[in-house]
Formats: sequence, structure tokens, C-alpha cells
Amino acid sequence: MRPRRPWLFTTGATLLTAAFLLPVYWMVNTSLTRPDRILAETPRWIPAPPTTENYTTALSDDALLRALLNSVVISCGVVALTLLLGVPLAYALARIRMRGSGTMVFALLIAQLPPTIVLAAPLFILERRAGIDDTYLGLIAADTTLTLPFAVIVLRPVLRSVPRELEEAALVDGCGPVGVLLRVVLPIMAPGLVAVAGLSFLIAWGEFVFGLTLVSEPDVQPVTVLLNAFVGTHGTAWGALMATATVISIPVVCVFAAFQRFIVGGLAAGTVKG
Amino acid sequence: MKGDRPGLFGETARRSRRGSSGSAGRRARPGSSGWAGGRGGGRGRGRPGPRRTASPSARRRRAGYLFSLPGLVFLALVLAYPLLYNVWTSVHDVRLTELLGGSSPFVGLDNYRTTLDDPDFWHAVRLSLVFTAGSLLFQFTIGFALALLFARPFPFNGLLRSLLLVAWLLPPVVSGTLFRWMLDQDAGAYNALLRAVGPDSLAHDWLIDPGTALAGVIFANVWVGVPFNMLLLLVGLHTIDPELHEAAALDGANAWQRFRWITVPLMRPVSVTVLLLGLVYTFKVFDLVFVMTGGGPVDATSVLSLYVYEIFFKFFRFGEGAAAGLLLLLVPLLAGAWYVRRLRGEGEAA
Repeated sequence: MRPRRPWLFTTGATLLTAAFLLPVYWMVNTSLTRPDRILAETPRWIPAPPTTENYTTALSDDALLRALLNSVVISCGVVALTLLLGVPLAYALARIRMRGSGTMVFALLIAQLPPTIVLAAPLFILERRAGIDDTYLGLIAADTTLTLPFAVIVLRPVLRSVPRELEEAALVDGCGPVGVLLRVVLPIMAPGLVAVAGLSFLIAWGEFVFGLTLVSEPDVQPVTVLLNAFVGTHGTAWGALMATATVISIPVVCVFAAFQRFIVGGLAAGTVKG
Repeated sequence: MKGDRPGLFGETARRSRRGSSGSAGRRARPGSSGWAGGRGGGRGRGRPGPRRTASPSARRRRAGYLFSLPGLVFLALVLAYPLLYNVWTSVHDVRLTELLGGSSPFVGLDNYRTTLDDPDFWHAVRLSLVFTAGSLLFQFTIGFALALLFARPFPFNGLLRSLLLVAWLLPPVVSGTLFRWMLDQDAGAYNALLRAVGPDSLAHDWLIDPGTALAGVIFANVWVGVPFNMLLLLVGLHTIDPELHEAAALDGANAWQRFRWITVPLMRPVSVTVLLLGLVYTFKVFDLVFVMTGGGPVDATSVLSLYVYEIFFKFFRFGEGAAAGLLLLLVPLLAGAWYVRRLRGEGEAA
């Protein structure tokens, strides 16, 4: 059914979206406002003139730079580990008839249910015993428990869509199973791979509970933990705080802008069912 | 909640074969030509395969097990074993000193008894229930209303929808910090708006007052959850055949009647899915609340996940923490098991 006045709906939807996104706008607005004006009685809706002072303050802090670097290292590590383990597993579950593959898929679904804090508790003890608490490795491994099950479940249908004939042709040509995966399947599923990589990055980038519990060394702490520590200690330095929050959000917006078709499409396809 | 997000994709994407294959199929062309180039190298062609020993299907099966092994071993070590170890911890008296190489005596169900006798635990359970129910109610109804709006074709529909989704993808720590700032008594933007429309007394220190802190946290969590609810419900709305509405309109049904007797019943399966996923993810929210209030003031927002955190990581009462954690795990596990069974049932019916 075609509404009679589509622009009226556009206007309404725009207003609602604007109201909804007010906090995000306010974050950027505050980050660009002069620190002495931030706590003024009547907040200013537009930072005039905008200042980069808060960003300079925030980014001159070595701790923040270090934490940003840590988050980049951890997130990239999670992406690498997720793809390395997830692609072969997804391929096996999608393509090869194995005993127990149904159970494995079921287990992967269940694996996404435990609250992170329930997993963080035993991991804290076990990683300490293994001596990998306070290391990138310990954190990357923990974060990957969040991304791997989801990556396999998303990649499996993508892999199934690769034409079987291509694989069979390659097998006939004498390619081994690993060769088929590397030379035939991976190039075709590259878009799906890139999207799963992007989403894994986002998950790791925003992860907080493992960062809070498994790591106490500032040398390893991710930026989300640092932001939370700032909220506690510099509770009133809202300008620098919002500048930090904005900096953390920028990669999220970039990744989303790059993969939004997949994100929306994947989610959309998920619930649609005849 | 970001940590909890993978499931959002995972569980829904489980049924996405049709949709994803469509998009991947469209993109397959450039990739497949690249493959053809690779085959041109054809180095493997002349090599004799060791096919005499086993049948191709057996070989493939063996390759399958080999392919799945690394991932499964990893998940067993870092996911399954810790969870089982948690069960062990929950029936032992594990303290920080013993962690450094002491003994942890078996105490049976004592940790569970201590937890279940703790009034703070039940306080946390009540808060979790209110937090979950409040979040679900509002994020579902607001999400539904927005879905009905965005189901109509109008200019910039897709762009505005994408903008809404940004809110959902922000790290929860960022959202929590944002809402702390928005709800601040003196300089918070929401209070400024309230003061602008009404008397000054409308402004309130939402997160500092124990009476309103939980409402403030629910408010933020609803904000985080609305886009996801909207998106899934929108997809559901698109599956409804528009001819049904047209036929009903011809028969003289007004907009409300069409909504009540066509949209609502046909949206029931999708709604159940959305609410159930919402239940699983809201029940385990930790970071948002932790950043906004830290559980305070005076335990006013100390939901179950924060209770577990405190017992385990602050008081280092590992045994009790493990027991409380397993009790927290119960709700998402039951909900998830029910959901997966439902999915399977549908799959068999289809």
C-alpha cells in the first residue's frame, strides 16, 4: 500500500531518528565544546565555535594511546583467530557429511548463551594458573569464544551457496580438500569472509567484561576498560571523556558503514522464513 | 551487551540460508573467475592422487574431521572446559589463597545454600526481573511502532533506518558513558530538556536517586535494544502479503481492524523470537549497568550479573560466585533450549 504523502512520513521518521540519536549527537557536541562551557546552566546545542581542545587533552594521555593500541592488537588477533579456526570448521559443517555435525551446530548455538561474566569467572582462575592472565593471548582467546560460534553459524550458509560443481571439478582435477578450500571456496566467499571479519572486529573492539576481569596490566588493557576507569576517576571532565568516547566510536561507525548491507541483510534474512 | 551480540547474528542467521545464499550468489561471479585463473595454474592436475587406499567419500569425511578439529579443540579448551570447571568450583570452597596452590575442600551444595540464603541474591534476582521485563516491554513496543512506520515506503527510509542501527552497534561502555552524561543532574541534556518544557523540579538526578536509578538504567538499555527489535520486526512485517490488507480494506476494515486482525496474528511467531532473544540478552547485561551505576546507589541497580561479579571478583568467594553464576546461566539456557527446539520443530514442519 502506497501512502498518500510519503514526504510526511519522511519528516516524521527524520524527527524520530533525530530524537533517538540525540545522545550520539550530544557526545560529539560535548567533545567539541570548550571545557569551561560544558557545565554551563543552559547547555548549548551547537558548539560555537567548535574546539579540538578536548581531543588534544584526551589524546595527549599516553594511557589512552596505549589502550587504543591494545584494542587494535586484541581486535586484530581475534579476527585472525576467528577466521583461522572458523573457516575450516564452517566448511566442514557445511559441506562434508560427518557423524555428529548436527550436534556440533547445536552446541555452537548453545555456546552463544552463557553470560560473559559466567565464563569470565572460571577463565580468570584457569588463565591465572596457565600464566596467560594479563597477556594479549589470554584476552584474544577469551574474546574469540564470543566470535567463533557466531562466525561459524554465519559462514556455514555462505559456504553452502558455493556451487558444488566447482569443488567437484577441482577434486577431479586432483586438488586435495585443503586445495579446494583455499583455491576454490575462499575466493568465492571473500565478501562473506570480509563481513564476518568486520563484525568480529566490532565485537572484540567493544568487549568489556573479559578486559575488566582477565587483565589488570595497563599495558594490555583494552580501551573500553580505560574509558570506564575514566568515568570513575575523572567523573566531571566530560569534555575529554566524550572526546575519548567519540574516538572509540569512530571505528564502529566506519565498519558499520562498510558492511551495513551485510549486517542488515544477514539479520533480515535470519528471521524471514516462508 | 556487545559481548552478547554475536548470538543476535548467529541464532537468527541460522535460518538465513535462503537470504544469504541469494546475496552471495550474486557476488559469486567475480570470485569464480578468480578461481578459474587459479585453476589455470593447474599444477595439481598431473599429480596422481592417493585414491587407491580409501574411497573419495571416506577421504572427504576424514578431511572434514581434520578441518573441524582446531576450532572444536579451541572451544573445548576455552569455552566448555571453563564452564565445566565452574561446576567443580561451585561445589568446592575455593578462596584466593588456595588459588596460589592450596587445597579446596569439597563442600557439596553449601555454596548454593549460601547463595540461596543471601537476601542480596534475591534482591538481585528481583532487580534482574524488573530490568528484563521493563526493557523488553518498552524496546518491543517502541521497536514495533518504529517498524510499522519504516515498513512504509518513503524517501530516505533506508538511510534513516541505518542511522538508527548505529546506536545498537556502539560499544556498551560508550553507551553507558553517554547515558551517564545525558542523565546528569546539572548539565545533562535530558534534564535541560525537562527544564525547558516544565518547572525546574522536573530535572532529577536519575542515577543518584535509588528510587529512579533502575529506571534510568532501563531507559538506556531500551535505547540500546530498540534498533534490533525494530529491524527484526520490520523483516517480519515485510513477509505479510500486502494483498491481505488490500482485501480487508476493500471489505471495509479500517486501519485499526486490519492491524488487530491481520498484522498482530501474523506477527506472532516473529514477536516470540524477538522477545525470547531479548530475554536472553537482557538477562545477562553487565557492562551497560556496570558503567552507568556500578550497581549502586545502595545496590539499587545491582542486577544478577553484577551480583556474580561482586561475589567473585571483589570478594573472591569463588565457590559462591561460581554457584551464583550457574544460577544466572539457568535462565538463558532454558530460554535458548526452548527456542532451538522451536526452530527445529519449524524446520521439520517446513
